[in-house]
This record gives sequence, C-alpha cells and structure tokens, in this order.
Amino acid sequence: MSTYYFVIVGQNDNPIYEKEFSTVNKELRKEDHRHLTQFIAHAALDLVDEHKWKTANMQLKSIDRFNQWFVSAFITASQIRFIIVHDNKNDEGIKNFFNEMYDTYIKNSMNAFYRINTPIKSPMFEKKSEIFGRKYLLS
Amino acid sequence: MSRQASRLDAKKVNSEFLTLTYGALVTQMLRDFENAEDVNKQLERIGYNMGMRLIEDFLARTSAPRCLEMRETADRIQQAFRIYLNIQPTISNWSPASDEFSLVFDSNPLTEFVELPPDLTNLRYSAILSGCIRGALEMVQLEVQCWFVQDQLKGDNVTELRVKFVRRLEEVIPAGED
Amino acid sequence: MEKLEALKISSMRPRSNILDRPLSKGKTEVSQSIVALLFSEIVQYSQSRVFTVPELQTRLHDLGQDVGTRIIDLYFVRERSSKRETKLTQMLLFVKTTVWKNLFGKEAEKLEHANDDERTYYIIEKEPLVNTFISVPKDKGSLNCANFTAGIVEAVLTNCGFPCKVTAHWHKGTTYMVKFEDFVIARDKQMEEK
Repeated sequence: MSTYYFVIVGQNDNPIYEKEFSTVNKELRKEDHRHLTQFIAHAALDLVDEHKWKTANMQLKSIDRFNQWFVSAFITASQIRFIIVHDNKNDEGIKNFFNEMYDTYIKNSMNAFYRINTPIKSPMFEKKSEIFGRKYLLS
Repeated sequence: MSRQASRLDAKKVNSEFLTLTYGALVTQMLRDFENAEDVNKQLERIGYNMGMRLIEDFLARTSAPRCLEMRETADRIQQAFRIYLNIQPTISNWSPASDEFSLVFDSNPLTEFVELPPDLTNLRYSAILSGCIRGALEMVQLEVQCWFVQDQLKGDNVTELRVKFVRRLEEVIPAGED
Repeated sequence: MEKLEALKISSMRPRSNILDRPLSKGKTEVSQSIVALLFSEIVQYSQSRVFTVPELQTRLHDLGQDVGTRIIDLYFVRERSSKRETKLTQMLLFVKTTVWKNLFGKEAEKLEHANDDERTYYIIEKEPLVNTFISVPKDKGSLNCANFTAGIVEAVLTNCGFPCKVTAHWHKGTTYMVKFEDFVIARDKQMEEK
C-alpha cells in the first residue's frame, strides 16, 4: 500500500501540475490525504531553496520527513521544483520518475504555445505522467 | 529601416534557434491580433518579403537558368528548401495540364517542437512558407497561388503545399535601360 | 510514377506527438541566412507595432526572453549532463560559450567584469548574427536589434537563479551589459567563503 503526491512548482511558488498516485483504490481509501500532502509539499519549498545552492545536482533526494510522510525533491536548471510526498521508501523509482518527468517537462516547455510558469494542461503530458507513475512509483 | 542587400553566406546554424524564434513570433502575433486569420496574413506577408530577397541569392548560388516550365520550377523550389531549410519535400500530384503540383513535407523545422492548441485550428502556423514561394517566384515573373492542403499540426500525416501557376508577369524594364 | 509517390506518402506513419519524440539533439542545421533574414523581418514587423526606439527594443527583448526560457533545461541536460550551475562566474561562462555556440554556432568573443561596479559584467560579440541584415538608419542611431539576444541572456540568467537586467549597446561590436541584483553578488561571495 503506497501513496505518492507529485507536484511541479513554478518560480513564484505556484503549483503548475499536480497528480496523486496510489495503489489504494479511491473509493476504499479511509482518509483523503490530499490537503495534508499538499501542505507538506508547500512547506518543503524553503528547504529545496536552501539545498539548491549547496549542490549542482538536480536530484535532491529525500529532504524532509513529517510523520509517515517523506519528501523527495528535484530541481531543474531553470529553478522549477518537482516534489513528491510519499509514505514509503522508493529512492530508485522516484529518481527515475523525476528524470523521465524532467525530459517530458522540457519537451512540453519547448512548445511555443506553452508559457513557462503557467499550469500544464496538456492531455499528452497527463498521459506521460500516468505512464511513468505506474512504471516507477506503483510497480 | 532599410533592408541591407548583401550576399548571403552558406554558413549553417542549429535549427532549434529558428524553431524557437519563429514560435516566439507567432505567439506574439496571436497576442497582437487575437485573430488567427490576421496572423495568417502577417506570416504570409513576412514570407513573401523573405522570398523576394532570397531569390537573388538562390540564383547566384545555383547559377540556375530561367525556368521555362513548371516542372523545372518545382525542382528549383525543392532545391531551395534543401539549401535553406535542409529538408527535401517530395514533388507530387501534378495536374493533367502540368500547371499545378504539390510539395509534400514529412518534416518541417518550423514546427519541430510545436503542438497546436485545440482552439487554434484555423491558424496556418507555417504560412511563411507559402508566402516565401510566392514572393520568390514573383521576382522571376511567375505569379502563382500557393496554399496548404494538409498540415501535420492539424493531424495530417504530412504537410502538403499546393502550388498553382497563374500567369507569367510582364518584365518591368527600368527606364533608360535597354 | 506519380501514383507510386502518392502511395509512399499515404503509408507514412503519422507524426508522433512532441512528448513521444526524443529530446532535440541539436544536430539539425539550417542556413544561417534564412535565420538572419527571418530576424530582419521580425524587426520590421515589430517596428510596425510601436512608435519609438525604446518600445521596439523592449519588444525584441521580450521575444528574446521567450526563446531564452525554452533553451535552459535543454542545454543543461544535453551539454552539461544535468548538472546545474550555482556559481556566478561559471554561469556567465556557460552563457558565453554553451548558449552562444548552440544558438549562433560560435562563442561570444569576450566576458568582462566592470572595474567600477561589481554587479556589472559585459559580454562582447563582434558581429551578432541577428544584426546581419539590419542597417540602422541615422535617425535611429541608438537602436541595437541585438536587444533580442539581450532578452535571451536575461531570461537564461534570471531563470537559473541569477536575476539581472541585460541590455545591448553599440560598443566593440555589440556589448551586452549584464547588471545583477545585489543579493546575487552577496550570495556568490558567501559561497566562496565556504
């Protein structure tokens, strides 16, 4: 049983893409963690901003913990933050997921009709994120 | 502002710069006009101006003789695409009278990273290409019509540009020159 | 013959969507003249939308910023094996070398630090590609269309966490003046002390 909340945060601390991955069927879930995970992700932004000047890596790995929740982060060269709040350890899967989503993010942002820092609404992007989530986070 | 006339050189650059700069122009125009039809017209005009300037360089570079019929013209256009955009459209679908043909592209550097939003189906993103062909041919006294029949940005397998001969223009001889 | 061609065309696979294609490798080339020619038309078009030289420069700068925001991650992944840049001097060198080479096929000529202001750097480019086909009339003497490139540079540096203002001037060819915000300099000094 595992849950992952993934969010891409723009330069003005604005979420531009969100998605939840869970092995638990939505109807069967005892409680909805969405608000809590969102809150944890937002609270981790300061930590990411602190970390990012100490390393040239994009993968910042596990940067925070709150009760059963872990926070893993990735920062792009253009200072866009990818954050995952998760309730079980899966370093390798998260690393791969971040890499694939970064690749997808770049291609999406090279399209003239997408403006940087605005919500990503592309159905193809959604599909990609679903595929990579299933492959690296839920398997 | 005057357009400097100079011999163009044969240097090559990364096509990403062209793709992204063109994309920035098109989206800026959409903000300027808020109407895809007007943007199509502007892009076509920009292409027309570019064609008028390119033809001179093309003729100098290829030392091509005057085309006497449309089949030669089609070959030259194909060659120009290879020189300037590094792509080779296929020439096909000739009309029985040989006055109309298609240029078929399976790739196009202008649209390389582009996906058209669903609400912009009437935008002719690559309209600069048809303008360019018109402008260049007009400088060699050929009036043509040029339009898109298929467009990969709209889900077609290929992009197809149709070129139709309209008429041969009178050569304008400047006064005093015989 | 023509029928055969038509057949070949219809059997082509549809264009894959942009997210399914591999990341651009930057190996496809086009003629430099077509790019310079397009740019000179962009200048003509932009001029038709404004009244003054500063307005025109701002417009070109904005277009440049649009391009700048889209190349950062691509170049860092492709040219720098996904390592970010945290130091100011290295970041400026990345712009002078990698960014210039990928966009214009050659590095910018020089990178200099101003003697009298630690926030100010200069990037010098003798013959900007973007000015190839543009001759500025006398009454618009100060206009430098390389403000488009200045926009690219500003977007790259600012989005990488080094906020600044960048302008283009006629000096030794074209000189891009890069003025960083104070905290950028302070942060960099602090990092060096560690």
